[in-house]
Amino acid sequence: MDTIDKKILNMLQTGFPLEAEPYRVVAERVGIDEDEALKRVKKLKEEGVIRRIGAVFEPRALGYVSTLCAAKVPPSKMKQFVEAANSYPGVTHNYRRSHEYNVWFTFIATSRKEIDKALGEIKEKTGIADILDMPAKRIFKIDVTFEL
Amino acid sequence: MVQRIKKGVARRIQRDVPVEKKPFATIGKALRCSEDEVIAAIRELMKDGAVRKFGAVLAHRKAGIGKNAMVVWAVPESRTLDVGQLLGARKEVSHCYERSPHFLGKYNLFTMIHSGAGDMAKIVEDIAASIGVADYVILETEEEFKKTSMEYFPDE
Repeated sequence: MDTIDKKILNMLQTGFPLEAEPYRVVAERVGIDEDEALKRVKKLKEEGVIRRIGAVFEPRALGYVSTLCAAKVPPSKMKQFVEAANSYPGVTHNYRRSHEYNVWFTFIATSRKEIDKALGEIKEKTGIADILDMPAKRIFKIDVTFEL
Repeated sequence: MVQRIKKGVARRIQRDVPVEKKPFATIGKALRCSEDEVIAAIRELMKDGAVRKFGAVLAHRKAGIGKNAMVVWAVPESRTLDVGQLLGARKEVSHCYERSPHFLGKYNLFTMIHSGAGDMAKIVEDIAASIGVADYVILETEEEFKKTSMEYFPDE
């Protein structure tokens, strides 16, 4: 990744041109031609630096509810637990973290009832009964842009 | 704005928009509308607050942004608003939420912190000093089991 790639990434994250030919605009701003801009962005996607180009939706504005869950999962049950949790499309992020509560996942659903039902099923399927369920009460910041 | 177009655009842009000369024209073709209507629909979804952001979502590890950790803070109720805003103002903090019930009965503010080239423990120490909160836990990210985008609009 060189300086031009970094400039392109900063622009695509924060000010993706909502214009008919967005990459021509990007190219002009960084001083290259459109074909090169397209080539660079395609490469950044292939390399996995860009996960996706699209919209990030606000679940609450669409009537969805969400929560953050944490569970204590012993190594012997890790695979089973992760598979059980990840099988729900509403579980969008799931990580192992450095704590006694070692598995942390987010859950987005159309209702609280749906989340309660899923957590009940995960508990039953895995025998892990201690799953914390911590919905957000207030949001101070969501800004997943990284200046490069 | 025609609701059919707006809904169709929402469904299309929740996934990956193709990297090509005229991506919005391609989306418009599939929805039988013009690229201008596609762009207008995106702008409207942003104005409604349904779309928080339109653009590139990066894989931070691959982008060389370094490690991240969830850090949870035990903040007295009377200081939650102040501290939440202070944490939100830090550039290393990408997310800051107040959650209830609290983690372990006391950790009520949750942040995602990105260390960049710096040392995580040091950055968190520095933040802790600046907000005057000494009771916190660093939950380092050790393994990614899943990271996807929610599909809010299923195919019809």
